[in-house]
Amino acid sequence: MDRRHLEDAAVSYAHLRGLLLIPVGALFLLAALANWDVVQTWVLAAGVVTVGLLWLAIRHHYREHYGSVRTSPRQQARDAIALVLACAIVIGVSVLLRDLPVNAIAIGFAVAMGVGYALGPGLRTHHVVILGALLIAGALPVWDGADSANAGLLLAGIAVALTGVFDHRAFLHTFGPTVDAGA
Amino acid sequence: MPEPDLALDRLIHEPGRLAILTVLSSASDADFLFVQRATGLTKGNLSSHLTKLEAAGLVAIEKRFVGRKPNTRLALTDEGRERIARHWEQLDRLRETARRTSRAPRAAPQASR
Repeated sequence: MDRRHLEDAAVSYAHLRGLLLIPVGALFLLAALANWDVVQTWVLAAGVVTVGLLWLAIRHHYREHYGSVRTSPRQQARDAIALVLACAIVIGVSVLLRDLPVNAIAIGFAVAMGVGYALGPGLRTHHVVILGALLIAGALPVWDGADSANAGLLLAGIAVALTGVFDHRAFLHTFGPTVDAGA
Repeated sequence: MPEPDLALDRLIHEPGRLAILTVLSSASDADFLFVQRATGLTKGNLSSHLTKLEAAGLVAIEKRFVGRKPNTRLALTDEGRERIARHWEQLDRLRETARRTSRAPRAAPQASR
């Protein structure tokens, strides 16, 4: 019996339902494409609705097959702090680095997500690799163009979706594959 | 015969019940399916353990409907939270005692040189 594994079950459930991140990543990509005028505004609006519905369907899938849990009040407080910190980091980095030839969006998202995972289930290898790559890409002094914010959004979207895929793998490792069960 | 302060809570020490209480110890509440998936117990096994834990006042069980589906919500009582924390402390203490005891015979010959 692995005590840590059992104690972490509630936090793992709350933070590693990775399929939920894939529509969020897609939304970032769609926003970047809309800013570049690659897709029209109505396509973006339809995409937002589709992504929202997809997100709800995925959440329903997890609830149906893995049940539901509310984390401890202490963990809920940590999650609230992580959310506030993440917002502050994204905004702060965007303001502080705006005159430098780096990609503030990519750096901001990499650090904010890293803090979120560190205060939640803990950083795993795939978080370090994906978010580290996003951070390094953002910190390269090559982002001088006017489209760097959009490119940052695109990179962040790919990183979010990729993190979701690996989070879901970690989730399956903890809770097992989907089976038909009802409570 | 174990020392009285190292005695284990037999109700909690059964692996299935220990797993259930440990999972619930880090949650405000959870439903039956979540605890089943997290512990890997079968439905029947989990139900049977929960009946015993509820009877002992360690787990509160609330049966309700979510939409039209029945849903069983589980949470540790204050006593359950206290007993599982004490049990893990006790196991840690036992492990430490065992470690000290196993080191003792090896240390004796060195001391006699």
